[in-house]
Amino acid sequence: MQACSAVTGLRAAAPLPARARAQRRVVAEAATENGAAATATLDKKDRKPSPLQRGGTLQGAAAAGKDASDKFKAAAEGASSTSGPVLQMVEGRFSDFRWKGGRWDLSLFKGADGETDWDAVIDVEMARRKMLEDSPIPCTNEDPVLFDTAEIPWWAWVRRFHLPEAEKLNGRAAMMGYVLALFVDQLTGVGLLDQQESFIGKVLLHVCVFGILLVRTTTDLDKYKNLIDEATFYDKQWNATWEGQERPSDN
Amino acid sequence: MASTAAVVHAVAPVCAAPKQAAPRRAFVGARVGRRVAQVAHPTAHKAQQQGRSTAVQVFAVRDGTPLDRPLRVAVIGGGPSGACCAESLAKGGVEAYLIERKMDNCKPCGGAIPICMVEEFDLPMEIIDRRVTKMKMISPSNREVDVGKTLNEKEWIGMCRREVFDDYLRKRATKLGANLINGLFMGLETSSPDGPITIRYNKYNDGDKVGTPSTLEVDLVIGADGANSRVAKDIDAGEYDYAIAFQERIRIPEDKMDYYKDLAEMYVGDDVSPDFYGWVFPKYDHVAVGTGTVVNKTAIKQYQQATRDRAKVKTEGGQIIRVEAHPIPEHPRPRRVKGRITLVGDAAGYVTKCSGEGIYFAAKSGRMAGEAIVKASEGGKKMAGERALRNYLDEFDRKYWATYKVLDILQKVFYRSNPAREAFVEMCESNYVQKMTFDSYLYKTVVPGNPLDDVKLLVGTVGSLLRANALRARDSKSVNVSFGSKSNEEKVTAAA
Repeated sequence: MQACSAVTGLRAAAPLPARARAQRRVVAEAATENGAAATATLDKKDRKPSPLQRGGTLQGAAAAGKDASDKFKAAAEGASSTSGPVLQMVEGRFSDFRWKGGRWDLSLFKGADGETDWDAVIDVEMARRKMLEDSPIPCTNEDPVLFDTAEIPWWAWVRRFHLPEAEKLNGRAAMMGYVLALFVDQLTGVGLLDQQESFIGKVLLHVCVFGILLVRTTTDLDKYKNLIDEATFYDKQWNATWEGQERPSDN
Repeated sequence: MASTAAVVHAVAPVCAAPKQAAPRRAFVGARVGRRVAQVAHPTAHKAQQQGRSTAVQVFAVRDGTPLDRPLRVAVIGGGPSGACCAESLAKGGVEAYLIERKMDNCKPCGGAIPICMVEEFDLPMEIIDRRVTKMKMISPSNREVDVGKTLNEKEWIGMCRREVFDDYLRKRATKLGANLINGLFMGLETSSPDGPITIRYNKYNDGDKVGTPSTLEVDLVIGADGANSRVAKDIDAGEYDYAIAFQERIRIPEDKMDYYKDLAEMYVGDDVSPDFYGWVFPKYDHVAVGTGTVVNKTAIKQYQQATRDRAKVKTEGGQIIRVEAHPIPEHPRPRRVKGRITLVGDAAGYVTKCSGEGIYFAAKSGRMAGEAIVKASEGGKKMAGERALRNYLDEFDRKYWATYKVLDILQKVFYRSNPAREAFVEMCESNYVQKMTFDSYLYKTVVPGNPLDDVKLLVGTVGSLLRANALRARDSKSVNVSFGSKSNEEKVTAAA
């Protein structure tokens, strides 16, 4: 059975080239009359589907809406499509199709609902600063940078940077508080709610919450020590002359 | 002279019989205390041993003792601090000796003087080459802010040539009676705590390449010999942290020079300096492009290259005509006075943080030291000593402490990292900040502004810092710098 089909396949394959050759001859004659476009469609229709087209691949209307986003299509095709360069250094200058006159053109950052997508603006400004930090460019009078981060509204910053952190900290505080309360309950028999009646309970509650707020990692303790050192070091240097001496203005 | 003879007479019997009641002998002028007898003995004895002429005997004189000759003060170093000190002393009737090693010295310097200095020190307009009325601050991401919008026509920053400036002040001091000596200070000897001080120096007579060793005897010494002060070493004043400032003078084409006619630029960023700023200052016919650093001095050439690169387009076609570098003190030395010797200016370490300004404070401290000595000696008629010098130190510290502290806080907050610098430049956009900054720089007073505006400023600053820090990429290669007591290597840490 298998041998049969193989043979039929072979036989089917053999005449193909001949047919294709015949097609091409026909096509060649048609080309002189119709043009290249006609040639292409003719070719495709009669050809056996290629491996890429077999196996469930969709084409035409059936494949609509299943493309990669414009950004990646543009990147694959060479980034020159409709918009322009994206976050690039061209001839020693920063160029991006959304960076106009030293500012980000906020009208080009519209999200799906027509409102400005502030997260995208923040991302792109972060990328610009990183680029310039890594490879600084000369400052010129012709291309002044005028973008002010205050153009991005305060709630966009809060939503992007503060809220996730706040969520984490609140979570930690709640977890720590609950575990400690259970622990105290086990030790002293005072219930969760009754613990907060006493003054000590309230104080410890505050210590726990603020501790988690201020000391997020062990390096934070070093950071605070450093800050105190920094705040007082200059004063110490200036007062070095007066150490152990009587200062005239003290009298 | 009769008085000198009397002195010799008085000392000789003391020599012979120290235990007698000779100290109570009254003669012209001086009260001689018992302590003097014990001290004069070994001095006279030593002098006799060395076979030196004892026409004028050296003996210790306590503070406040009336003198029969004017008080003698040596000022080592003839820069702004030394010249102003000598001028105040000479004006007050004190015999001042100003010792300067190089009369045409072109000290590497930014050369910027605030307007209050012109008034306070009666400086003529001729020595000021340019009046800068505009300043540009440029952030790491090349955001430019024009600072100076709030200045009126009478307010400006003067740019001068140090050789012209220093020379004018020295000549003025000489005209008022100071003795200008061209010599190199070699060392000083104090024979006794209240005794005279002997200065050893190499005197350069006209056209000499090598100096002739000479000595000078004075009652007080003011060390005004700059950041590498020899006097400070001799009195064990202690070390200070210092920045290395590196500068290239570049002559640029006319049209580019026109842009810098009355404008100075300040570049901030990790590439330019981790803890200071790079500058382009206009001089009389060229610009000075430079930068400085404390924590990473070995990389100064790379910072200078980065500064030149940032200003590349604006200084295109320029030729480097001079390369210079100099240390800048970061804070005062631990001990600024010892006995009758004190320090002023850069030798003492009176350079502000953040801006690195030193000329005004040098001149002012020199003047204050001179005036304190004149006051304590009542016009050079009485002996003055450590107490007068401590009065000068106290007055200076009290008067300018607020200015120094504010600039220190500014440096600690805004020079820490790239985001902090971005926030700094963003804050300088506001008119209120510009007005406050210029008022405090030009007039050297920290004036508290409107409280409501101050609160708005605080909120704005915090907002700027938070935003700028949020915009720092997670994989940023920039560094964070701290300004405390750690060693220079430990002060620089990678961005968290």
